[in-house]
Amino acid sequence: MTPILSTKGLTAFYGDFQALFGVDVEIAPGETVALIGANGAGKSTFLRSIMGLIRVKPEMIQLDGRPVGGEPPHRIVSGGVAIVPEGRRLFAGMTVEENLRVAIDNASGRDGTWTLDRVFSLFPILKEKRREPAQRLSGGQQQMVSIGRALLNQPRLLLCDEISLGLAPRVIREIYEIMPEISEAGTAVVLVEQDVSLAKQASDRLYCMLEGRITLTGRSGEISRDQIAAAYFGGSDAVA
Amino acid sequence: MQWLDGLIQGVLLGGLYAQYALGMALMFGVMRIVNLTHGDLMILLALIGISLSSALGIGPWMVLVLLVPLAAAIGWLLQRAVLNKVVSEDPLPSLIATFGLSVALQNAMLQVWSADTRSLPGGGIEQASWQIGSIYIGVLPVIVLVAAICLTGGLSQLMSHTRFGRALRASAADVEAAAMTGVNPKTVYALATAIAVGVLGFAAVFQGLRSTVAPADGAAQLIYAFEAVIIGGMGSVWGAFLGAMVLGISQSIGFRIDPGFGILAGHLVFLLVLAVRPQGIFGRN
Amino acid sequence: MSQTQPLSEPAVTVRTQTASGIVAMVIGAGLIATLLSLPFWAEQGTIRSVVELCCYIAIAQMWNLLAGYAGLVSVGQQAFSGVAAYVTFILAQNFGINPYIAIVLSLAAPAILAVPVYGLLHRLDGPYFAIGTWVVAEVVRLITTNVGYVNAGAGMSLRVMTQFSAQERAIGICILCALMLIATVGGSYWLLRSRYGLALTAMRDNPVSAASQGVNVGRLRFLIFVAAAVGTGLAGSIYFSSQLRITPPAAYGAEWASIAIFIVMIGGIGSIEGVLIGAMIFYFADQWFGEYGATYLVVLGVLTLFVALYLRGGLWGVLTRVVDAPWFPTRRRLIE
Repeated sequence: MTPILSTKGLTAFYGDFQALFGVDVEIAPGETVALIGANGAGKSTFLRSIMGLIRVKPEMIQLDGRPVGGEPPHRIVSGGVAIVPEGRRLFAGMTVEENLRVAIDNASGRDGTWTLDRVFSLFPILKEKRREPAQRLSGGQQQMVSIGRALLNQPRLLLCDEISLGLAPRVIREIYEIMPEISEAGTAVVLVEQDVSLAKQASDRLYCMLEGRITLTGRSGEISRDQIAAAYFGGSDAVA
Repeated sequence: MQWLDGLIQGVLLGGLYAQYALGMALMFGVMRIVNLTHGDLMILLALIGISLSSALGIGPWMVLVLLVPLAAAIGWLLQRAVLNKVVSEDPLPSLIATFGLSVALQNAMLQVWSADTRSLPGGGIEQASWQIGSIYIGVLPVIVLVAAICLTGGLSQLMSHTRFGRALRASAADVEAAAMTGVNPKTVYALATAIAVGVLGFAAVFQGLRSTVAPADGAAQLIYAFEAVIIGGMGSVWGAFLGAMVLGISQSIGFRIDPGFGILAGHLVFLLVLAVRPQGIFGRN
Repeated sequence: MSQTQPLSEPAVTVRTQTASGIVAMVIGAGLIATLLSLPFWAEQGTIRSVVELCCYIAIAQMWNLLAGYAGLVSVGQQAFSGVAAYVTFILAQNFGINPYIAIVLSLAAPAILAVPVYGLLHRLDGPYFAIGTWVVAEVVRLITTNVGYVNAGAGMSLRVMTQFSAQERAIGICILCALMLIATVGGSYWLLRSRYGLALTAMRDNPVSAASQGVNVGRLRFLIFVAAAVGTGLAGSIYFSSQLRITPPAAYGAEWASIAIFIVMIGGIGSIEGVLIGAMIFYFADQWFGEYGATYLVVLGVLTLFVALYLRGGLWGVLTRVVDAPWFPTRRRLIE
């Protein structure tokens, strides 16, 4: 089966500063993959490269085997990728429903698995607050809008950048509880997480990054804490 | 009675200024670009309209029908060829680029149309008026005001209830997030500029009918548009409309105090607003 | 001229002067001396056009300081040159003050005007600040046009100048021009080499991070705005005093802004060298092609557009990529 996403020797630069050094990652349709690593390991850069926000060579990123590296973000979205960006990035000055509608307006060609009603049934609180300006919601509610917005792009691959960051444990649990429903819809998910045990629990497979390189990969259930610690902080080569 | 007349004429004048200001409010709301060719484009369109009218022997409404699509096309081209290259956090490149373009446009118009002032023949409509008591109300200025209200209402609806309007506001709020949600900002920007300049097509016809145009007049129109947007409060089309009313009334009342004081009064009200309420009269904090 | 400051422990020195800088300074001194000698050998027409060139350089350098370093893009600097020139005419013509002293005294006017203007406009950001300055210039023009004391729209003539012979006038103007260049170009150079220089350069590159590094961006911007107003005012006073006539449209015309922007953008924003190169180009272009009027201005406008789109650093930016020989070195280098 062709992977939905594969990166081949992905390198990325911010000016003269190199942030990624040949990253190879493969995501199969429908699977959930966690990407962990310390701050500055290159996780966000990796997601930004996929979304077309950083200029990379075309063949470095492939969607369904088709080279798409460096294409503008809206083309990536119409190719079936959506992102829940770090910091939520809601559209200030627009209501909850309007935020969601922007995604509906610009959804990928895939049939409407996700509807406004389905997002509202995932997060009932959003239905209540649909007419409120998005910036007036609590952090957790804003995160729900951001997830809903990404889902309404009808992705086959959903990228989640640090969705638990800054949220209360109860809210994190609430948000992670919906992950199975997303997977059941056939959507592959990449979870970028700082919380290693959360990432391990919620994923089928796992990649660990350190200083712009993948230092560990394997099935989430089979990787030991020690292996992760070594890959996370460096030291010995650890490939499970 | 003189003051009531001043007020009424000011509101009517404001209708014309609103047509200058709408496009600027739209473009600034999205791209944070002040397009210094704003006034020159209007003058260019008016001169093209006047030439079309005499070359084809058509009336002002037919000119309007031809001019608005042409204006929109010019706006699209301007955004694609120039402004998309200079949109950034740093305002300098867009300012300098449109400044250069403005100088070039003004002088090119001078070459083509000479420095003469011209106006668009309206077939008598420009003289028609209603008399109420001792006050004369021109038919044309009323049409201009009604057109301005319709354009403002239309734009406002477009912004709040259409796919394009949502994409525009999303790009204005966070261009990168909008792109990651599937919006193509360059297309949205080009469309926004096309609409903004398209509105100038209306302004051009009405300016040509109501008074005169000459190649160097663009600077004044740019300043009026800018003042209306700031007075009203940035970012909303109805704010720009109301700002244009305030500007028109200030100039009209000022003119009745002393003919040399009219335009100056508008500028002074603008500076006053800037001093006491920099977010604009109708703007939120 | 080379300044070396020993730092603490290691044998490292900070060098801020270069060979090219010393050569440029010698040439600069020679040019100033030539300027001062003009009245004794040059024709009236030559002197007049050199005075114009000096005014262009001064106005452009002041605009460069504003836009290139302080991030204050103004298209209304003619408010300051016009006001200073008008005050010169009033002091000399209506109060009988010696016109050369009047030129110096008139500098108080742009300084005083700059304070409330900055107070009013500084909260407008970027492009809005620019048009705001333009409105101010329009207001000053309209007020001048309506004030009978300065002969309203008809303008004023500097008849008191007839008390001097042509050569005496030329000597006075050339001395003032030399002082103006030393004050605007030399003063900017001194400023950029002083301890404010680093702050200004930091501010040019990134105002937010400069502020976080302890640069008082607001205060520095204010001071530069006032200083630029005074420098621009001096150029206006000298220019119109040599023309002997002033009218509101001439004094407050937007052409002044066009000239400054063209010179700085073509030459290279954020460098003194760029201003000098741009001024020379504009001066010769004006001499050779000025007769083509509108067509010539179309070309100037398109050139400015081209530079803004494709050549942000101007000609000096291109030159520095080829050879690193600054005429006004402001960088600090560590030498072991």
